[in-house]
Amino acid sequence: MGFTLREHTADVAVEADGPSLGAVFAAVADGLAAAMCDDIPETGERFSLSVRAESREAALFDYLDQLIYERDVRGVLPVAHEATVQQDGDEWVVDASARGVPFADVEARDVKAVTYSEMRLDPTNDGWESYVVFDV
Amino acid sequence: MTTREFGDIELRRVREHVWEIPQEGEMNAPARILASEALLEQIGQDKTLEQLRNATHLPGITKHAICMPDGHQGYGFPVGGVGATDTTDGCISPGAVGYDINCGVRMMTTNLTYEDLQGKEEELVEALFEAIPSGLGGGGVVKGDAETIDDILARGMQWALDEGYATEDDLAHCEDEGFRDDAHPEYVSQKAKDRGRNQIGSLGSGNHFLEVQRVTDIYRDDVAESFGLEADQIVVLIHCGSRGLGHQTCTDYLRRIEKEHNDLLDELPDKELAAAPAGSKLAEEYYGAMCAAINFAWVNRQLIMHRTREVFADVFDRDWRDMEMRLLYDVAHNIAKKEVHDVDGKERELYVHRKGATRAFPAGRPELPPAYADVGQPVIIPGSMGAGSYVLRGGEKSLDLTFGSTAHGAGRLMSRTKAKQEYWGETVQDELREQEKIYVKAQSGATVAEEAPGVYKDVDEVVRVSDELGIGDKVARTFPVCNIKG
Repeated sequence: MGFTLREHTADVAVEADGPSLGAVFAAVADGLAAAMCDDIPETGERFSLSVRAESREAALFDYLDQLIYERDVRGVLPVAHEATVQQDGDEWVVDASARGVPFADVEARDVKAVTYSEMRLDPTNDGWESYVVFDV
Repeated sequence: MTTREFGDIELRRVREHVWEIPQEGEMNAPARILASEALLEQIGQDKTLEQLRNATHLPGITKHAICMPDGHQGYGFPVGGVGATDTTDGCISPGAVGYDINCGVRMMTTNLTYEDLQGKEEELVEALFEAIPSGLGGGGVVKGDAETIDDILARGMQWALDEGYATEDDLAHCEDEGFRDDAHPEYVSQKAKDRGRNQIGSLGSGNHFLEVQRVTDIYRDDVAESFGLEADQIVVLIHCGSRGLGHQTCTDYLRRIEKEHNDLLDELPDKELAAAPAGSKLAEEYYGAMCAAINFAWVNRQLIMHRTREVFADVFDRDWRDMEMRLLYDVAHNIAKKEVHDVDGKERELYVHRKGATRAFPAGRPELPPAYADVGQPVIIPGSMGAGSYVLRGGEKSLDLTFGSTAHGAGRLMSRTKAKQEYWGETVQDELREQEKIYVKAQSGATVAEEAPGVYKDVDEVVRVSDELGIGDKVARTFPVCNIKG
């Protein structure tokens, strides 16, 4: 379980896997943090977030978008992600948390947005795997 | 007939520097790539051609989907892509504009020469880096409340003029005079406004930068004179966009299209090409929101230019007006605009999407400001921080070949992950300073590695193709002296 940063001409891609949907969502989010920062300090308080969307892929997109939003308005780099994903009728619900490292404590770079480009979220024999391209 | 194959895509050579993917299957038009043999070889190495072919599936796409000489793989629509769609029965595509709405460049001229600057490079780069917010969480020149944000979104550079951050002359030398009156702040989400609030007047990071440059070459004396450019002159180039506000606006509308126009989305080969049908409520709302984000980006660059003037005044100990620090031009390169173009002898209103492409109108277009009405608009093509940048003017052939567009930069060649394996930020900075007398200061060493000169294509070749095609004519070349980035 974990993530790998993959090559992309202009932007950055994250490939991740995990034993559950929640685990692979959190692993992609850890990859997003790694795309912004090479050395993550141990500082910061945890915060929670929740999103609801019409499909698994849309839930992943909205979760990552919400993390980028929280980063900008809280002034922190979200790291050490945890997430659970559950179906609720026709919708998918992500309940998640992250540790917010204050920008003052970290040397980080901007990632502008999550994209649907080449996005994959597929079941495997051991759980789930995903591929997400972020706009830098 | 000369042909080239890249994977399952066959290109036919139309004439020198013009290649075509013929229309077939679900394509609504052919695709064209404007490139020399050398640039085509690089363009064919990633997914640029596949993305360009996908772009021809957009409803109402007119004549061709076009890739500029600096094109490379993006997401959905390729970077360096131009696509014009009909405003009545076509569509508007947030994916074909990109997340960073009105990412663009502006150049400010001065009456300083390189000799005036020599010996002060270090002081200047440190002062600029200190004064101009950059990087992640660096804040902005202005911290805006809700009213300020709405005012900026509605009025663009007119807000900056009223607040004392701009002059009348600045507005007269900006694309659209720094203000889109189609802007509708009410169509920009609260989330987007929240993200923009702390970032008004900030560079960000990635490939955004501020660079002090010296003019090294003049290619067309008469045009250079009209632009106020001469050899050895110091100029300032600023490259950034609409920050989190623009990124969030694009994201919001991609998701709304997914929910409200899924039928159209299902017909497109890539979800990132998400488009709203022309005439739909969503198309109108996106256009209003995008125009508001365009205004935000112009204010963003204006505030950075204002700070730059103040820094120069401190470092050179004289009023910035005495240094004749004037805006040459500000051009957008991620944008969609309603424009009227001649298509097969008929005038049609089109949404011209330019994603990583610069408007390059020749003399005579009504959109040009009086200063450039008879000469053609300035086009600013930044190179990497170790190579030259160029000033072009809109070429006579651009309206026929590219809906009045040309390249926007050198174009990336190497991924960011590979760049960090190949280069070390401090080494790049040291080499640039010792070998080229270029002073670089950045928030992050990794950014310097990711933006090392070797990760970009040859800007000279990009500009040569633009010039030979007649879509953007070479006017002047500049070389970096000081560079700051996030």
